[in-house]
Amino acid sequence: MSRIGVFICHCGENISRTVDVERVAREVGLLPGVSFSTDYKYMCSDPGQNLLKNAIQEQKLTHIVVAACSPRMHEKTFRKAVEAAGLNPFLCEMANIREHCSWVHENKEEATVKAVEIVGMMVERIKKNRVLPGITVPVTKRSLVIGGGIAGIQAALDIADCGHEVILVEREPSIGGHMAQLSETFPTLDCSQCIMTPKMVDVANHPKITLHTFSEIELVEGYIGNFQVTIKKKARSVDEDKCTGCGVCMTKCPQKKIPNKFDQNIGLRTAIYVPFPQAVPNTPVIDRANCTWFKTGKCGVCQKVCGPGAVDFEQEDRLIVEAVGAIVVATGFDLYTIDEKPKGSAIKGYGEFGHGKIPDVIDGMTFERLASASGPTGGKILRPSDGKEPKQIVFIQCIGSRAREKGISYCSKVCCMYTAKHTMLYHHKVHDGQAYVFFMDARTPGKSYDEFWRRSIEEEEAVYIRGMVSRLYQKGDKIVVMGSDIAVGVQVEIEADMVVLATAIQPQKGADTLAQKLGISYDKYHFYSEAHAKLRPVECATAGIYLAGACQGPKDIPETVSQASAAAAKVMTLFSKDQLEREPIVARVREAGCVGCLACKKVCAYGAIEEKEIRDRQGNLIKTVAYVNPGVCAGCGTCQATCPSKCVELDGYTDEQIVAMIEAL
Amino acid sequence: MIISQETMDVDFVRKVEALSDTSVRRCFQCGKCSAGCPMATFMEHPPNRVVRLLQLGQWRRIIEGRSIWYCASCETCSTRCPNKVHLASIMDALRKLSWDADGPSKESYVQLANKLFLQNIRTYGRQYEMRLAAVFNVKSGQFLKDLMLGPKLLAKGKLKMFHSKNKNLSEIEKIFSRIEEMRKNGKAL
Amino acid sequence: MTNDLKYSYYPGCSLHASAGEYDLSTRELFKHLGIGLTEIPDWFCCGATPAHNVDELLSLSLCAKNLELADSIEGDVAVACAACFSRLKTAQHILGENDVKRKQVETALDAPLKLDGNVKHLLEILAKDLGLERLAASVNKPLTGLKVACYYGCLLTRPTDVPNLDCAEAPTIMEKIIEAVGAETVPWTHRLECCGANFTLSRPGVVIQLTNAILDAAKAAGADCIMVGCPLCHGNLDIRQKEIEKVYSTSYDLPVFYLTQLVGLSVGLSPENLGLGAMIVSPFPLLTEKKLMETSLLDSQVSLPGIR
Repeated sequence: MSRIGVFICHCGENISRTVDVERVAREVGLLPGVSFSTDYKYMCSDPGQNLLKNAIQEQKLTHIVVAACSPRMHEKTFRKAVEAAGLNPFLCEMANIREHCSWVHENKEEATVKAVEIVGMMVERIKKNRVLPGITVPVTKRSLVIGGGIAGIQAALDIADCGHEVILVEREPSIGGHMAQLSETFPTLDCSQCIMTPKMVDVANHPKITLHTFSEIELVEGYIGNFQVTIKKKARSVDEDKCTGCGVCMTKCPQKKIPNKFDQNIGLRTAIYVPFPQAVPNTPVIDRANCTWFKTGKCGVCQKVCGPGAVDFEQEDRLIVEAVGAIVVATGFDLYTIDEKPKGSAIKGYGEFGHGKIPDVIDGMTFERLASASGPTGGKILRPSDGKEPKQIVFIQCIGSRAREKGISYCSKVCCMYTAKHTMLYHHKVHDGQAYVFFMDARTPGKSYDEFWRRSIEEEEAVYIRGMVSRLYQKGDKIVVMGSDIAVGVQVEIEADMVVLATAIQPQKGADTLAQKLGISYDKYHFYSEAHAKLRPVECATAGIYLAGACQGPKDIPETVSQASAAAAKVMTLFSKDQLEREPIVARVREAGCVGCLACKKVCAYGAIEEKEIRDRQGNLIKTVAYVNPGVCAGCGTCQATCPSKCVELDGYTDEQIVAMIEAL
Repeated sequence: MIISQETMDVDFVRKVEALSDTSVRRCFQCGKCSAGCPMATFMEHPPNRVVRLLQLGQWRRIIEGRSIWYCASCETCSTRCPNKVHLASIMDALRKLSWDADGPSKESYVQLANKLFLQNIRTYGRQYEMRLAAVFNVKSGQFLKDLMLGPKLLAKGKLKMFHSKNKNLSEIEKIFSRIEEMRKNGKAL
Repeated sequence: MTNDLKYSYYPGCSLHASAGEYDLSTRELFKHLGIGLTEIPDWFCCGATPAHNVDELLSLSLCAKNLELADSIEGDVAVACAACFSRLKTAQHILGENDVKRKQVETALDAPLKLDGNVKHLLEILAKDLGLERLAASVNKPLTGLKVACYYGCLLTRPTDVPNLDCAEAPTIMEKIIEAVGAETVPWTHRLECCGANFTLSRPGVVIQLTNAILDAAKAAGADCIMVGCPLCHGNLDIRQKEIEKVYSTSYDLPVFYLTQLVGLSVGLSPENLGLGAMIVSPFPLLTEKKLMETSLLDSQVSLPGIR
């Protein structure tokens, strides 16, 4: 006969505000099989856990139900406590009376009745719980890092420096990401290239790092410690092993007027190109859409001039499979654009700013390229339309950001600072120019950040105008900026030579597709979700996958680097053990009843089901049955639902347990 | 002026929100409404400050002022508000509340024009521009206003001296009186 | 030309008075294009801006009453005036979403509401229902060489989600129509600025200032004339143009056409049937110069009577 103990948590006031916890404890105490029930303010705290441990020993309890928050939050905590008190951890279950009850109801009477029912169901269920043995699996001590910006580079270097192999995958032809595009960085104004390129070279030279640029993730299978990743290496049309990076192909390529994405399309490049001179690897790639050879079958100049014979028009996309134990996702961000969006799209453009059709209205990243010494203008601030130096320049903040109407409610976090930086760079380069900034409020928390912003106003003489801009339009060769200053309460109209928009930070395009491949969750903007906003900020809810940088939310460089190192530390924690303990929630086949139809094998998304032959003592085959590999099984239960002869059961979620819960209602 | 908690009537905000079906509290004072308002230069409080005063419970200053009557109802503010605050509707609500308080506002001409416009609908079912203009000029004491336009418009057939009444005028009168009745019984704002 | 398009017609107060030429040209054009147009019997004023300014319930009730009257006639509701269009659409939208307001209006009308009529501005009927192709096919005197500044004003496309006529910030429907009948359009800066029509009566000084900016921008963009779809805008741009020129000591001389007048010209309707004589800024010198009207007619056309 089981002696069940029930422990009801107040969760501060989170539960007790809407659920009468004392009454729940009283009422469930009367249920058959329950020997002990009590309530406590914070059951997960040290005294709370001690209460639980002592009760197990004093009351000789055999099964435990903790009625508190979601099992995602604290199941591990309580199972550990139960184990410490000498019980098998799987004889402890949680009844969720917070997310499923107190947080979603207002009426205390009704919520209390519901809480009693939720606990009652778990009491009936736990009577059918079995002791489950732990499962251990080996850990592959190699890791995959997706994205070669500063986040991915930092994570890869940290992991590799600890002696573990890293596979670094980057979609573009070079690593470096957005940081490589920046001119100088706040709040110290050190040159981005100067601090970034050495790290890029470190990646290329590191014996433990394998770099796949111009590559994308095709498929991810497996689970923590044991992922199988298929990487698509797109055809570069240049053999990476043969190419010496001499660059002759690029100087000879006749197609010279292709907008360079790295220069925000204001600079030009050839059809065979590296995106920027400091690219890593320094191996060009042929842009087949713009290459004369691929368009007409004629030309081939690059192939003719290439000494080592590295140019290969026949090259095809290749698939590479890598086994890794952990994955760091560092796919970064993209910038919002003000152009017209498709009808019905959740994100809208800025018709009032001309939908991006006014040539001298540019975004912040384009300004970075203009200001960069290695940029298309050699570091001169010149406007795109006619190459003149703008003497009156207007910066507008919060474009897309904090604009519910445009579909984005969040603050992009870095724009206040980079706009302040832009006014300084402008002032340093155009001495007789004047910068104006339209802003709502300056958000500058961070070490030396506010001082930096003040410097822009006090020393670099930028005129900050507190108010947004209603409309921008071209008038002759000027852009009319119709703004307001809310402190004075007047309209402010400026005829500018150039306008720079601080556009919102959005997740990289295709972030949702990648998340689906990885099986990780994301928010409505497609930023990836961490397991816990405060206490597990770099881990995904999916075990073995970690986050670094702006793919999780807008971040500046210091924060990105910190998070990347944190993600690397988490990977190293995982790699510190040879074996990984897994939850024994796995499917089991009742071989006696199994007819070997293998319907379960077809539906298993994890490839966990194998065929198993059953033979008699003489070795004659009696029958073939299904077998679940407990190391691979993810415990999803699809096989259980599929089996026509009801011979697959999921440990911890057996039909018997589920029926017991329903009957308790 | 000093704003103290005694003069902060934030309950009024609820009334405006109910009438206008939009949030007043949501406004974070970015000033985009004022930046694009064609009438801002004519107002003593630009649009963003009207909302700010409202948020601080200073509604008297608004309904006694002229800003709300200088709103052209062009809806530029609502169209461009990054925060989906329907300011044009808030302006409507404020004008109604000011109107109901029997026009403490300094702006009498706009109110007079509105009053005559609505009276015309009640009496004739439709608007008769010539009559409206003539009565306005008499009542506002500007007998000669736009005098030069009159003959030209008459010659072009643009001002009708006579007009036919709607056949269903009793229906319009019923709508007006039912609304009055509802308000008397507290069944409508 | 025959087609199966049929509408109930809500002209609005101005079209029965100062904008008689808009009414006339609309009827003539639709007759010519074979589009059925039946005026709603005994329609009421929609309340325009003054009603919603101070009494939303009255404004909603008047609009709901008109939609009820329109319900007796087959077809969608054709509206000529941008202000009426905006009011009727907005009322439909609010009454569809807000139950409290809907119930109050039902009490005021003492009848269940009939809100299903699809309210359409003339622009929509020409560009979408009839379609640009069919419109272009009916042109026999293309407006070649005429540079038109299309003026939307504030109410045709606002608020963003209600009229749903076109993009609120970058509409193109007027340009598409007038290009379909052979004219050129000029890109300009003040297509969507407000003319201050609400203050025509009470504060004409405001109107003069705002309207001047619009005329100035159209002139600067090189337009020969302005096209509008709203009698209130027309009132300010055309009727007050001479006065504005005097106040600002300048000269614009920009004829202001209703869209139905220009389209009407292109399909071959006579200046008389389009009420061109009613325009305060005479269009005849321009039309003659652009060879869109025969020179020999000039003298008689200048003295063309206004609207009957």
